Amino acid sequence: MRYIEWIVMFVVAGLGIGLANFVGFDVNFMDSLPGILILLGISLVAVLVSKIVPLKLPIIAYCSIIGLLVACPICPVREGVIEAVNKINFTAPLTMVGAFAGISISDQIKSFLKQGWKMIIVGILVMTGTFFGSALIAQVVLSLTNAI
Amino acid sequence: MKKEAFQYPSLKARMKNEYRIILAAFVFILIADSIGQIEIPLGPGKLILFPIFYALILGVLSGPEVLKFFRKKEVKAASKLVIVAICPFIAKLGINAGASIEVVLSAGPALLLQEIGNLGTIFLALPFALLLGLKREAIGATHSINRESNLALITDIFGPDSPEARGSLSIYVVGGMVGTIYFGFLTTMTAAAGIFHPYALGMASGVGAGILMASATASITAIYPDMAAELSALASTSETLSGLTGIYVAIFIGIPLCQKLYTWLEPKFAKLRHEPSEALTRKAEEKVEEA
Repeated sequence: MRYIEWIVMFVVAGLGIGLANFVGFDVNFMDSLPGILILLGISLVAVLVSKIVPLKLPIIAYCSIIGLLVACPICPVREGVIEAVNKINFTAPLTMVGAFAGISISDQIKSFLKQGWKMIIVGILVMTGTFFGSALIAQVVLSLTNAI
Repeated sequence: MKKEAFQYPSLKARMKNEYRIILAAFVFILIADSIGQIEIPLGPGKLILFPIFYALILGVLSGPEVLKFFRKKEVKAASKLVIVAICPFIAKLGINAGASIEVVLSAGPALLLQEIGNLGTIFLALPFALLLGLKREAIGATHSINRESNLALITDIFGPDSPEARGSLSIYVVGGMVGTIYFGFLTTMTAAAGIFHPYALGMASGVGAGILMASATASITAIYPDMAAELSALASTSETLSGLTGIYVAIFIGIPLCQKLYTWLEPKFAKLRHEPSEALTRKAEEKVEEA
């Protein structure tokens, strides 16, 4: 994608976040705006970094790392960033993600039904096993290191 | 550096192909967020439904196989838009992680080690897959959570027509269809059972699939609102680590381990099912070829 395509699409995503935050949580758009602009700014820098840095990481990894950096204690704008972004409710950015994700798999319904019950059971167990495996190790290590 | 091949000749061409997807997304947001979060008591826990689920279902229904509002090429375009839309969300989680950096650091060893726990799929799902009679498809199906990068990896290693790639694709499709909702449900039920500390559940949410993590984190923060900041911080850090390490864990541990366990377990389950063993038959054939 060209930068201009990323920018326009991020603006679309930002409007989606603002709309969800208003409809779902009664936060008016102007109150959401600073937080939205920060999130979009970070996303855009992440795209930029992913194109410049030769290290092949997913864009969302850069989003997460840059987000962490601007909100970490040594960052001078930390307080303002955290306050503005806290106005965006946790699930507000997700509705649009769900919409796009739903559309993107909408041609797989027949294929899904063709998998049969065995693959559905195995799929459920794959997700369950992945989740429990991590939870188990996390629990044990947290206890051993006295973090909880 | 290789020049990037663009999907569209211009921004205008992109908008022309995608404006209906964008408009539909706004309509879905209006509907989904008007309905809002619904909690349904279920056994010891509860099922929490989020707007993301309704939007997902609306999206699936509007596609070429049900309501036929979207055409094939729009379906294809939408998967790229998922990445665009999830970026600001991940940035928000990154900010949460920065804001709760003390918690993240104090949980450091647990965060790193629990990445290995993602291999739990192999120990739980592989035996069941064999019990159900799956053969080499089981290796592709159970070696990891099977999102895009894993599917690409398995296809690359075993070839697109291999049973392993078929298994991986199956779980990819199943995960896409039911994963988001199931993962949220799994998290709330596990939280209700009270076996694990909320921090452990937060970390477990990051499995290397953004939308699954989002669903699990939304659920767990709804259950423990007082710890919302810390929990989402742990989830996002775990997710980022999974994103960074996932593919290497699969190459160097997941797939070899899955193959080893398969050759060991498959004959036993085949016997149980009164079937010829695929692993032993293949071994015998290889011996004949060598001789």
